Amino acid sequence: MPPGALVLLILRVLRSGALHGYAIAQRIHVLSSEALRVEEGALYPTLQKILLKGWATAEWGISETNRKVRFYRLTSAGRKQLEVGLSEYERLHEAIQAVLRTA
Amino acid sequence: MKEFFRRLQYLAHRRRFDQQLAEDMQFHREMAARDGTPNFGNMLQLREDAREVWGWVWMDRLLQDLHYGVRVLRRSPGFTVSATLVLAIGIGVNITAFSLFNLVALKPLPVRDPDSIVRLQRRSPEMITAQMPWPSVVFYKAHSNMLRAVMATMGAPPMELESDMQPVTVNFVTANYFSELGTMAPVGRILMPEREDRADAPPVAVLSYGLWQRRFGGDPSVVGKLIHLNKKPATIIGVTPLTFASLDGQSSDVWLPLAEQPYFVEGSTTLGDPSNGSVRMWGRLARGVTAKTAEQELLSLTNELRKLRPDVIWNHEYIRIDPGGHLKVMQPEMYQVAAMVEALVLLILMAACSNLGGLMVARGVTREREIGIRLAIGASRVRVFRQLFTESLLLAMVGSAAGVGLSCAVLQTAFAAIDTPAWISAAPDWRVLLVALGVGFVAAALFGLAPALQIARQRQQKTTARQVLTGVQLAVSCILLIAAGLLVHAVHHVLHADPGFGYEQVLGINPELETHGYTAAAARTYLSELTSRLRVIPGVESVALSKMPLLKRGLTSYMTVEIGGRFVNAYPNWVDAEFFHTMSIRILRGRTFLAGEKNTAIVSESFAKRQWGSADPLGKPLWRDGTSRDMIVGVARNARMKAMNDGEAVEVYWPAQPDDMQAMTLLVKTAGTPDELAPRLKSIAEGLDSKLFPSVWLLKSGFHETASDLEKLAMLVTLLGFVAVAMASIGISGLVAYTVSQQTKEFAIRLALGAQQVQVLATVLRQFRWPLIAGLVAGSGIAAGLSTTLRKTLYGVSNLDPATYTAAVAILLLVAGLAAFIPARRVLRVNISKTLRCQ
Repeated sequence: MPPGALVLLILRVLRSGALHGYAIAQRIHVLSSEALRVEEGALYPTLQKILLKGWATAEWGISETNRKVRFYRLTSAGRKQLEVGLSEYERLHEAIQAVLRTA
Repeated sequence: MKEFFRRLQYLAHRRRFDQQLAEDMQFHREMAARDGTPNFGNMLQLREDAREVWGWVWMDRLLQDLHYGVRVLRRSPGFTVSATLVLAIGIGVNITAFSLFNLVALKPLPVRDPDSIVRLQRRSPEMITAQMPWPSVVFYKAHSNMLRAVMATMGAPPMELESDMQPVTVNFVTANYFSELGTMAPVGRILMPEREDRADAPPVAVLSYGLWQRRFGGDPSVVGKLIHLNKKPATIIGVTPLTFASLDGQSSDVWLPLAEQPYFVEGSTTLGDPSNGSVRMWGRLARGVTAKTAEQELLSLTNELRKLRPDVIWNHEYIRIDPGGHLKVMQPEMYQVAAMVEALVLLILMAACSNLGGLMVARGVTREREIGIRLAIGASRVRVFRQLFTESLLLAMVGSAAGVGLSCAVLQTAFAAIDTPAWISAAPDWRVLLVALGVGFVAAALFGLAPALQIARQRQQKTTARQVLTGVQLAVSCILLIAAGLLVHAVHHVLHADPGFGYEQVLGINPELETHGYTAAAARTYLSELTSRLRVIPGVESVALSKMPLLKRGLTSYMTVEIGGRFVNAYPNWVDAEFFHTMSIRILRGRTFLAGEKNTAIVSESFAKRQWGSADPLGKPLWRDGTSRDMIVGVARNARMKAMNDGEAVEVYWPAQPDDMQAMTLLVKTAGTPDELAPRLKSIAEGLDSKLFPSVWLLKSGFHETASDLEKLAMLVTLLGFVAVAMASIGISGLVAYTVSQQTKEFAIRLALGAQQVQVLATVLRQFRWPLIAGLVAGSGIAAGLSTTLRKTLYGVSNLDPATYTAAVAILLLVAGLAAFIPARRVLRVNISKTLRCQ
């Protein structure tokens, strides 16, 4: 996974609502048709970074297994960052595509 | 910015955040296990990786290292105490030196707005003086816009207070002096510009706190009382506070208004004389004005002043502004001294650090197992190195703190012993603490880096590092011992060698004719009357005149001249025909002066040798560039009366001219001891004119004062030298003892195979010949190079004096030999069979 992509993915899956850590990993796993697997060792440092940057906040909630757990919620700064990230990604993607198509 | 605050939050609530993270991950595991995709990996490690994002891991590690360091140091108290002691000495000496420099040159005086106070000095490419004619000061004061205030001070010879035996020191200051400095009188009032700025104001005096306590018992009712200074009545108006800080560290028992100087010094025309440099000028820069712009304004004022008084202003004269709000206005020579002291104390720091470095390496050996285990279970070398260096840093900081305490105690004692102004305190300020911190880091780098590297790389067994460190210690000790030896030799030389002039039986008399407004003609009459009266006193052998007061503290004037491609200080004097006989200075060639002659000169032998080599100097013109028409008529022995310390100084004498007479001092040579004659001479000199208050001094006391200054310096350096030697010998002992313990088996085998004990001992000692030789050679070389800066303080002793170098090297060889031999003796007591069976 290219650097920065995981941040983008996490922000994207959080856009539809607050999720806990495991759910974020699951959602990415499912949405990518089981192609992407996010390991703990990558997920939690990235989540810490997102919290530190202020793109998401953590709040206590109850999980589907009835356990107290932290849910991560996108902030407005996170939404903005997602847009910036997406457009940057689009640009990069198009540029790569252009090269791959014509070269 | 927000992000930074969030980071700080993470730091503040680290434990809570860490707990949350742990719960998150725990939950993740549980869920993953339920879904049948168990996650492996070290939870702690993963958590640490996640925490690293917060950016505080370095601090965690530092704290860990510090905790560990504290534990390690506490576990070996012997090592910790001795290391702290060594460091406290090494660092303390440095802090003391800096504290003194700080006090003199950096710390602002406790006066109102010290930063804007400046000292003004007359300069031209050839001339420098801080003494200004009062009319010039008045002119600058009236026309300068850049100077908010102008103050002036004028020193004066001590005065008689009532009929006390002990004269009091006095200073004349402008009436705004105290109000500008923000001085508050504890009783009475200070001088006030609106009242004491006129010559016809009623005569008043301000007492110093010390004199008030000493002489008047701190009685507040002295205010308004009449006292007599040199028999002139004056009213006491107040007392300066105990913590009064004067400009340039001038101390005075009594402060008098400058405008009333003609009253106190009867007949004086000094203040009105536009060519008589008599006062020191101080000022306050206007707000927002830099020294540079003020200097420019003063330059244009100087040029205007030249139009008014063309004979008074020098060619290319300008006024130089120096910051004046410190204890002393620093002069270039003072920076030289400071640099020299700094070099010496850094040597001590180096000695202390290399000593401690040796100890650290030795400890590395005993910690071999511990470090080995840590490396084996996965610590990186960098991490181990960092841990070890943190320990050194910790030790250095403890040492630094102890050094601050030590230096504080030393300064406290010193300030109590010598009479320092009360506002000066030994307590360290922020500058001192900052330097202490810095010196601590430097020390840690010096003693901790090499051993930490060696240990982290598991090379504890090698003695290279210790050998190098021992060499450094020996070199440093060698330098300090040589410097001490040179100074001790100089003291000895001063006290026992023939200085080239006689001082034991000579008295000086300074009637201060010029300050009392004598004309040349009146001075001639006075002096001829006085000399004829003195000559008839039984026990007086001869009486001579000298323009320069000899062997007495005070201003010295000299010229720096280039002779034979080298700049030396030439000390001028204007004397009469009797001078050389009275001072017992032998005339080596030619003749002494004749009465009433002109355009001749006598030079000292080293002057003649420098200038003309072996050629005959008699009949030669004095300066080659032709500015003078004076012809050399004689060559006198070197007599460095004005600069005893400077072995390169030269003297030039001119015959005193009738117009110089008001500036003359007298020299009286007696047949026996001169001490009893002093009061008699004084009363005769006073009897001729009751407004005069001549000072009479013994030349031998001036001579011994100078010698005792040198003695103190020599003692201090010797002390430093011995500290270094003691540390070096401990270092050597340690190194030898360690080597012996490492090689015991080898020695036992050798002895078992029939080697002589002496041979084995020689093998041990031979290993240390290289650090010894290298240290001594490097030390002597560096000392030879550095000591050229000492040349002007060595009283004519050569800075390459072979006896001193030999003695220093011999002492070190002896000490090093002993220090090595004592632990090496253990080899002789080796129990062969036991040693061999054990290993």
